[in-house]
Amino acid sequence: MNWTKQNPGLAMFAAMIGLLVFLWGLAVPLSAAPAPIGPAAGQFVEGTRVTVWLTLIAGSAGVMIGIVAGLGKLSRFWPLRWVCDTYVWLMRGTPLLLQILFVWLVAPTIMPEGIDLSDFACAAIALSLNVGAYNTECVRAGIMAVPNGQIEAAHALGLTSMQTFLDVILPQSMRVALPALANNLASLVKDSSLAYAISVVELTMVGYRVQSESYQPVPVFITIAAIYLILTTAFTTLTAALEARLNVGQKR
Amino acid sequence: MTTIETPAAFQKPIIEARKVNKHFGAFHALKDVSATFHEGQVTAIVGPSGSGKSTFLRTLNRLEAHDSGEIVVDGIELNSDLKNLDAIRREVGMVFQSFNLFSHLTILRNVTLAPMRVRKMGRADAESKALNLLERVGLRNQADKYPVQLSGGQQQRVAIARALAMDPKVLLFDEPTSALDPEMVNEVLSVMRELAYSGITMLVVTHEMGFAREVADRIIFFDEGIMLEDATPEAFFSNPDHDRAKAFLSQVRHGY
Ligand SMILES: Nc1ncnc2c1ncn2[C@@H]1O[C@H](COP(=O)(O)OP(=O)(O)OP(=O)(O)O)[C@@H](O)[C@H]1O
Ligand SMILES: [Mg+2]
Repeated sequence: MNWTKQNPGLAMFAAMIGLLVFLWGLAVPLSAAPAPIGPAAGQFVEGTRVTVWLTLIAGSAGVMIGIVAGLGKLSRFWPLRWVCDTYVWLMRGTPLLLQILFVWLVAPTIMPEGIDLSDFACAAIALSLNVGAYNTECVRAGIMAVPNGQIEAAHALGLTSMQTFLDVILPQSMRVALPALANNLASLVKDSSLAYAISVVELTMVGYRVQSESYQPVPVFITIAAIYLILTTAFTTLTAALEARLNVGQKR
Repeated sequence: MTTIETPAAFQKPIIEARKVNKHFGAFHALKDVSATFHEGQVTAIVGPSGSGKSTFLRTLNRLEAHDSGEIVVDGIELNSDLKNLDAIRREVGMVFQSFNLFSHLTILRNVTLAPMRVRKMGRADAESKALNLLERVGLRNQADKYPVQLSGGQQQRVAIARALAMDPKVLLFDEPTSALDPEMVNEVLSVMRELAYSGITMLVVTHEMGFAREVADRIIFFDEGIMLEDATPEAFFSNPDHDRAKAFLSQVRHGY
């Protein structure tokens, strides 16, 4: 991780390129592997893509939700505070699997006519809401950690509340919140496997299918585990580099 | 209260405070404070700890809202109207005891941020202006560093440059040298001295009596939320009207 800290820009670039190359090139080594992996290489690649998409979509949406709800929790307007508190309480107090099933079963009935939510969309929504709740707490802690003097200085210079938030509070709170947010993202890579419950064909689902056709669970699950490890490592490198980026001007 | 002759150069009032009161819960921190500050005037605000000096200064740009009374800055009334507040904060700069430089931004970005956001100045203009101001406080070569990499005295000089970048009509200083190691006090005071002679209006809360005596046109003495004395430095330091001020001065002298 030291290299990452010293060259954050390069590390971010390398992790991003690495991830892309991995997604593109994964089929090559996999199809060269012996049965039961080789013949199912296409399925593994497809499953990996779905997992990565789920993670990226839910990860980004989850950060936005975390920022909005984190601010809401600190609002002076009590109904907003109450809504955000309840949201976090609900999402953190119930199993993710239940939340995924709930969205999948309830979303179609409340959607307006003509809009058809795919299983993938339901999984993405549930995962976003779930990780968003965990992010909310990190963002709130980050905002609370910004010294009051920084905000006073911004106000004294004539910055509006919005400018103060975007230019001072948000970047400084992210610096504090990022390690925890990165943790949540790494968990998300793995949590996305629960989408198999509503028949989203992501990596774990692929593994399950392939092993039940080939009756060879061990090599299949080792392959799946290796792919998850590579994915979590890429995401961790990315966020560590981002962290080093944001860490400038901080006492070490 | 001693009234002082207003020299002709100070004819135009820039800040007018009338019967300003401020409470913190049940605690009465400012009691009917009234004062008019004129353009170009340098006022030192002194007094014992907890007497309301900071609170008074901070009501002038509404970091603290006053409960009653009137504050008018450059003809604009300071009240809950956000438009007025924005207009006033553009004209009133502040320098804090603990510097409060933006820790995530370089020195240069600290100085350019407000002109770019508030005055909508272009980046190139803002940067050349910032570099000139940094030159003025002797820190042009530190522009690309971050605040933590600078000494306290350097950070405070940057904070002064940052405030000046908005071309304020008034600069408020709240104990600008109190958080500094003794050997750094003078570098900040000499920047402030230079500013005072350049004609900008300054209100300085300070414990540096030497500086107040030498640079200020006017001394205000606070005690328990009351503006007890308002005098020229000569009058205040040689013969204050109130026993509380005499006691304060003798205590400060013993401190030296
Ligand atoms: N936010 C606040 N909440 C409650 N009480 C406060 C607050 N700010 C100031 N006070 C109280 O108001 C009084 C005046 O405080 P102020 O900071 O203006 O004093 P000061 O003259 O600047 O003193 P010092 O020289 O120690 O800085 C003090 O008794 C202080 O405890
Ligand atoms: Mg004070």
